[in-house]
Amino acid sequence: MPTRDLTIAMVGSGGDGIITMGDMLAQAGAAVGLHVMKVEAYGPQIRGGESSCTVRISADPIFAQGDQVQVLVVFNWADFAQFRSEIVTALDAVVLYEATDETPRESIDLGSIESVRWVPVPFIELAKTSAGTTLAKNIVTLGILGELFNLPKEPVERAIRGKFTKKKAEVLEANLKGYVAGIEYAKTIEEHASGKRLQYTPGEPMLLMSGNELSAVAALHAGCRFFAGYPITPSSEVLHFLSQWMPKVGGYLVQTEDELAAIGAVIGGSFAGVKSMTATSGPGLALMTEMLGLAAMAEVPAVIIDVQRGGPSTGLPTKSEQSDLWQALWGSHGDAPRVVLAPADVEDCFHATVAAFNIAEEAQMPVIVLSDQFIAQRRETLSMLTLDHEVVGRQVPSAGDLREYKRYKDTRSGISPMSWPGMKGGEYQTNGLEHGEDGTPSSMHILHEKMNAKRYRKLRLVRDKYSFYRRYGTERADVGIICWGSSKGPVKEAVMRANGRGEKVSAFVPQLLYPFPYHEFTEYLKTVDNVIVMELSYSAQFYKYLRTFLDLPEARTFVFKRSGGRNLTVGEVEDKIRKVLDMSALRGEVLV
Amino acid sequence: MSASTRVEIKPGAYKSDLKPVWCPGCGDFGVLNALYRAMANLQIEPWNTVILSGIGCSSRLPGYVHTYGFNGVHGRALTLATGVKMARPELTVIAVGGDGDGLAIGGNHLIHACRRNLDVTYILMDNEIYGLTKGQVAPTTPTGDKTKSTYWGNPEPAVDPCELAISTGATWVGRGFSGDMKGLTELITGAIDHSGFSFLNCMSPCVTWRGDDEFKRLKAMQKPLPEDHDPSRRANAIAYTREKDVLTTGVLYKVEAPTMVDRVEAIKQQAMGGKPAPSTKEILSTFYPKF
Repeated sequence: MPTRDLTIAMVGSGGDGIITMGDMLAQAGAAVGLHVMKVEAYGPQIRGGESSCTVRISADPIFAQGDQVQVLVVFNWADFAQFRSEIVTALDAVVLYEATDETPRESIDLGSIESVRWVPVPFIELAKTSAGTTLAKNIVTLGILGELFNLPKEPVERAIRGKFTKKKAEVLEANLKGYVAGIEYAKTIEEHASGKRLQYTPGEPMLLMSGNELSAVAALHAGCRFFAGYPITPSSEVLHFLSQWMPKVGGYLVQTEDELAAIGAVIGGSFAGVKSMTATSGPGLALMTEMLGLAAMAEVPAVIIDVQRGGPSTGLPTKSEQSDLWQALWGSHGDAPRVVLAPADVEDCFHATVAAFNIAEEAQMPVIVLSDQFIAQRRETLSMLTLDHEVVGRQVPSAGDLREYKRYKDTRSGISPMSWPGMKGGEYQTNGLEHGEDGTPSSMHILHEKMNAKRYRKLRLVRDKYSFYRRYGTERADVGIICWGSSKGPVKEAVMRANGRGEKVSAFVPQLLYPFPYHEFTEYLKTVDNVIVMELSYSAQFYKYLRTFLDLPEARTFVFKRSGGRNLTVGEVEDKIRKVLDMSALRGEVLV
Repeated sequence: MSASTRVEIKPGAYKSDLKPVWCPGCGDFGVLNALYRAMANLQIEPWNTVILSGIGCSSRLPGYVHTYGFNGVHGRALTLATGVKMARPELTVIAVGGDGDGLAIGGNHLIHACRRNLDVTYILMDNEIYGLTKGQVAPTTPTGDKTKSTYWGNPEPAVDPCELAISTGATWVGRGFSGDMKGLTELITGAIDHSGFSFLNCMSPCVTWRGDDEFKRLKAMQKPLPEDHDPSRRANAIAYTREKDVLTTGVLYKVEAPTMVDRVEAIKQQAMGGKPAPSTKEILSTFYPKF
């Protein structure tokens, strides 16, 4: 029986071409309209060392990285050992491994690999005899995978031609020979692929993008024409992309000396009337925290993308975690209003980033887009059709306002029209000091109270106007999962599977985290009997955040939290759903 | 506005309604007045000008000038100025602050602003002490001086701000004295007029924390640069700024070089290649499989 959904993991050393192989597979899938999600993982080395790439290819929409791989390619068991807790093979998975590996698999602890189809393959030998070089090992493998599992072979061939077209003709020729040799070899082992051949109908090509790339495009879409940033994993792709594209749209970009300068320059650019943004990760956001207060006090729009990684301190720079939440929400001296948005998947990075600019401009305050490594760095297929979002600009003073201009005029909404340099009559002095309506510094208690109220009042408008959340599953549910950010993917997939089994399960995923969407939460809670809060934060930051605003149903609320470093899996979510369903069934019996 | 209908802006027109919070006798008054005059000399339009500062006594200055102003956070005036100038290159951008603000907490930004040669004027009001926090040692305080935080005398050597600016790439470096209105006005005028990063270290005595004699002491030390000083020669400039026991005033160093904006503007022209900016759809399309 064929399958419609296949997850393939490839493991080897730097130089084995693992990443190139994953990239070509993903691009080939996207080219024929398949749904693809690609995740890479590396050792700590800058070059060389172990690397792995997992590509999930499906004829139907997918929301999570495959928990379990159906196909595993191992060039080197010693490298695989480094990933053994991260790559889990499915029951009956096909394991293609180098037949001449000097570290035999029996000699090392492979963790949970069992009940699989072991298939030794002479990758090195095949590459040498067909292409004349072991370097073509990955291309041979592409041929084998394509033939065995019915992957889009013709686009892979085009990808190979594309990759080697700039090199000497012999190099391309050699690689194509390697590819064909792979296909031919696969025919000799095809019995191992039964039940794992992909069945699909080719469709229109899809975009293949990471969350970071999409955030960067979204910024340009929103009209951002100034970017200041400092390199930090896992956010640097935003800086990289914009370094190429910002000048093309007529904007400016500066790589600053540190994150303090990055947020300072963003506030300066925005003060000067140009939509401005920075992107960073947890340690960088920590450095920016003082000036988040300045943006809140001076009421200057600013967009900050924080791509979360494992922390605290240097933590796990290349792995995902959801533990910058409190820093984003509350990291501040004084009462400093800001808005926090959390994209829940790659596509969301587009909408959340454009929305962040809209809100920043409208409410004149810092807006943090709380992304994370999992959605920021994985690549997945997207449809162009979903990538559009309305763009809103800043409220500027009218001619009447400018006659006796008060930059911080106390209005009903709290929003005061904002002038920018060049507007005659709009001159004002802004301040990190508390100030009156015209910007004059003051330490008067009464004024401080009034201006705090004005600044916080703007959040009401944001809360009432912008309602971003996702809800999945049955209308009424025995178990409702509340999660945020990248946890959405595995949660959604688990909920859909549970619903498929007839279980009443739902999920609620707020994307506007602050101001707190109280109304949406309370409405959701009315529809569920039991609640599971799920997050990748050891100290349960999200759960505690919810508790500050909500009365979660006592004795019917469960928390599943753990450290990041490994993305949430569908299996984990399903396990918790089952446990709570069992418990509530038991409770039902007792009550009767 | 055409030149014929332009009304001349007098120095007083740059004065805001706010009364400075500075102590009587503070050197910053002199700098402020010289700034008004320099702006009038250049007929700078207030609405096309931004003055930015950090925190400290002197960082209150933007409030006293009728332009767009930004009194930011400690040490970060130049970061804000970088954003303003890069986002809106056509604006006149002036950053101001004290020696603690610009050389201690904000020292790193000074180095990089100099290196970039961003077309911003930075006036550092140097009083060799922390005034606002009431009398602690600064990076410019002479070795041995007793301050509130150096009870036994300052154990550290002082930094020479001008030498730092010259060596890190500023293309205009001058030193002035707030007791010399004529000379200071000329210096500020020249600094703003310069295309590229101009750094003016202005000795601006703190009579409250460094004593009533500070003015007299500095005045006695002041020694204008000789007429034949060639400011394009870096070695000369550094030799003058290193001179001991004198306060050399004037334009120490001045060279012409492409500014940050010149360089990024050239990149922009190259990147755009005379074509209109691509649409979101066109940008997204580059993410279709590339074969």
